[in-house]
Amino acid sequence: MSHSAIVIIGGGPAGMSAAVAAATQGLSCTIIDEGFALGGQIYRKPTNPERAPAPHPRGEQLRAEVAKLAQQIQVRNGDNVWGIFDELRVAVTSPDQHTELLQPQAVILAPGAHELVPPFPGWTLPGVMTPGAAQTLIKTMGVAPGKRVLLAGTGPFLLAVACQLVDTGVHVVAVLEASSRPAWLSLPLHGFRTPKILAEGLAYLNKLDRAHVPVRYGRIVVAAQGETELNAVEHAPVDAEWFPDNNRIETEQVDTLLVGYGFVPRVQLAQMAGCNLELRPDVGGWIPVRDRNLATSVAGIFAAGDGAGVAGSLVAALEGQLAGMAAARFLGAIDEATFTAARDPIEQELVRLKPLRRALDKISALQPGLMSLVRDDTIVCRCEEVTWREARAAVDAGSTTYRSLKMTSRAGMGACQGRFCWPFLSRLVAAEAKCSLADIGPPSARPPLGPITLGALAPQAQDK
Amino acid sequence: MPMTSTADVVVIGGGVIGASVAFALARRGASVTLLDASTPGRATSASAGGLWSLGESLGLGCGVILHTAQQGAGDGPAPLPRTFMDFLWTSNLRFPSLAAELRTLCGIDIEAESATGLLYLVYDEEQERHASRIVEWAGSDHGSVEKWTPQHIRDRDPLITHDLRSAIHFPGDNQVNPMLLTEALKRGACAKGARFIAEARVRALRCSNGRVVAVESDKGTIACGAVVNAAGAWGAQIARLASIEIPIHPVRGQIICTEALQPGTLRSNLSTRDCYILQKAHGEVIIGSTTEYCDFNTGVRYEDMCSLAAGAIRAVPALRNVTLKRAWAGLRPGTPDELPILGPAAELENFFHATGGFRTGIVAAPLTGEVVAASVLGQTPEFPIEPFLAHRFQFLTA
Repeated sequence: MSHSAIVIIGGGPAGMSAAVAAATQGLSCTIIDEGFALGGQIYRKPTNPERAPAPHPRGEQLRAEVAKLAQQIQVRNGDNVWGIFDELRVAVTSPDQHTELLQPQAVILAPGAHELVPPFPGWTLPGVMTPGAAQTLIKTMGVAPGKRVLLAGTGPFLLAVACQLVDTGVHVVAVLEASSRPAWLSLPLHGFRTPKILAEGLAYLNKLDRAHVPVRYGRIVVAAQGETELNAVEHAPVDAEWFPDNNRIETEQVDTLLVGYGFVPRVQLAQMAGCNLELRPDVGGWIPVRDRNLATSVAGIFAAGDGAGVAGSLVAALEGQLAGMAAARFLGAIDEATFTAARDPIEQELVRLKPLRRALDKISALQPGLMSLVRDDTIVCRCEEVTWREARAAVDAGSTTYRSLKMTSRAGMGACQGRFCWPFLSRLVAAEAKCSLADIGPPSARPPLGPITLGALAPQAQDK
Repeated sequence: MPMTSTADVVVIGGGVIGASVAFALARRGASVTLLDASTPGRATSASAGGLWSLGESLGLGCGVILHTAQQGAGDGPAPLPRTFMDFLWTSNLRFPSLAAELRTLCGIDIEAESATGLLYLVYDEEQERHASRIVEWAGSDHGSVEKWTPQHIRDRDPLITHDLRSAIHFPGDNQVNPMLLTEALKRGACAKGARFIAEARVRALRCSNGRVVAVESDKGTIACGAVVNAAGAWGAQIARLASIEIPIHPVRGQIICTEALQPGTLRSNLSTRDCYILQKAHGEVIIGSTTEYCDFNTGVRYEDMCSLAAGAIRAVPALRNVTLKRAWAGLRPGTPDELPILGPAAELENFFHATGGFRTGIVAAPLTGEVVAASVLGQTPEFPIEPFLAHRFQFLTA
């Protein structure tokens, strides 16, 4: 089993669906996932089932389907894919620092997305975290992130996490949604073909209502206060472009603030493999260019799910199926007719989901006002602790691309390689330098993507 | 089309050499425009910043191309000409005063270290013979290059492997932060009146009556009195825009870099048969570098990452458990004799080269800036530029 035909990177809905689709066609697959069990963030499996809430049934079902195909699907949990080199060679290191170079005939990238957090005064205080981080605590261990929690940002994910916090017994002070209430009220108009999803959203709102958690629309967090840890949050109403009205700031005493303004596709492996990228802010930023069959510009590499454009778990699972079938066709395991017959229903379902998705993307599209929160001394690159004053000095000295800004200010030079800071920093730079996000470019992706030790590499050296 | 502007001198290339030339020109009162294209693979950004005037010129790193060319002679890497060692030595001596000047001028600390020194680790008998020759070549006119015993090495840097025979110590072969040096030179030039244009790719050189009259870039056209080609590995491409051939070839260097460790974990710069190792002021340890021809490919190879890691662990076993942060590659501008190409081009009367820095661009930058600037302005350079004229390759390109 060590030489699978297909290596699938990421074990969320896209990765699991891709493995099931390809394995059903008789192909051997290896799913590599950094988590301790398959599921990804959305279908994360509890490590402490007594305390954590029951896992999502769709996740349980996918895990069961993968388990049924154990003959074809090898699952490597806890492993770190840190590079893709020429000729589809995938470098992977296990937690004991054993390193291996896999050489599959096809690769399916399903790495998912990470959360998008804008820099604002106080955002680096302990007690400020992302909704996803809080969700991980709840889902795996049943542990609450704090006692009094405020959620802020945009998108339905905030509501989902707020409900999970309520279920865990946390006092949720409020949910602040940056977009206006009328914008959200228009959603049923676009989602009439997907009533189940709308119902899911309504159920969140009802639950929060019953728990007396106010959902306040058209408000954003403008600052977090505290000396050594968070103790209060300032928030203000915003206009249509999310510029806050600083005369109407309210202060809320909380010990935890969860901030998330959507997601950014994790494209670093695609980049490293040489896949062409395109800028698509509507689905999270830079994404790999894909054809109808989810093939990237590099032969043998396919991309599915949020990592190729944020669209949620249902789309991810469908794309995973399509990528699995496309890889099977690429490897000659199925003929054109079989492939087309499988593709048609998947595409129809994707079309059905599209209007609601588009409407959500539009409502949650980042507005320029969010970029007005940074002050001179606000940290804009957390790894290297670069302030906006320092980054702006570099911009004023002529650095407008990721490369030159990194070289001159160290912003993006840390371990995260700009993954965390650059989605916002690039917008700040674009505004400051009056250029476009496309001109500025994505952060470069260099191996290793995850942490490995020198000792993990050395044994692989070939004696000269 | 963006507007036209004018400058006495246009310097093409915002790496360390271009920035140094621009700084030296601006300091002499010339109006300068510095153009940078921020191309991936610039040698400056893939440099570790070692100022190894002696080590490199005596064949620890430089000499590899010549060695490859002469393979079969069985003598190992050879030293470069004495005049080049003198050039690098003279340039290296500039760093303390340059650091002070740049700190005053633009507030940037270029992290020029003064007492790091370079240790060349000797593992076996064959290297021991090579090492003896190095000490002999070094002579005594550039400080005392001497052999250190294992005990001496341990006293100085306890983390260095005990499994070695000796080391050669090169005093004065210290280090600097190459990115901060470049940025400080650039800002220093601007403080002296130079203009910097970022993301400006040069598309054409407009020539008339044996002179370049204007530089066309995608950020505008600049009418000029002289042009300096400081485009590094892309130097041949820029020269070709003026129908000039120079033998510059990209030589890839891959390097790996660790997470930040406690500063002072490694006190010396290290060079071994496998790699060099040095710790930067931020605490990161840089391990480099390969020397290979592969056109303009700036990718990193898995195999080379592994050999660099193995080489580093052999020299400093404690690095085994240290986390790797990143690997990347730069393209050094290599020439057939490993010496830079500096000074006036024979073909056009106002076109000057400042490229071919190969493995020593950082240490050579201060003096390169001075001699090229002097040459452009018709002054007598303080160090003879003749050995570095492009003319020497006439037999190759004719």
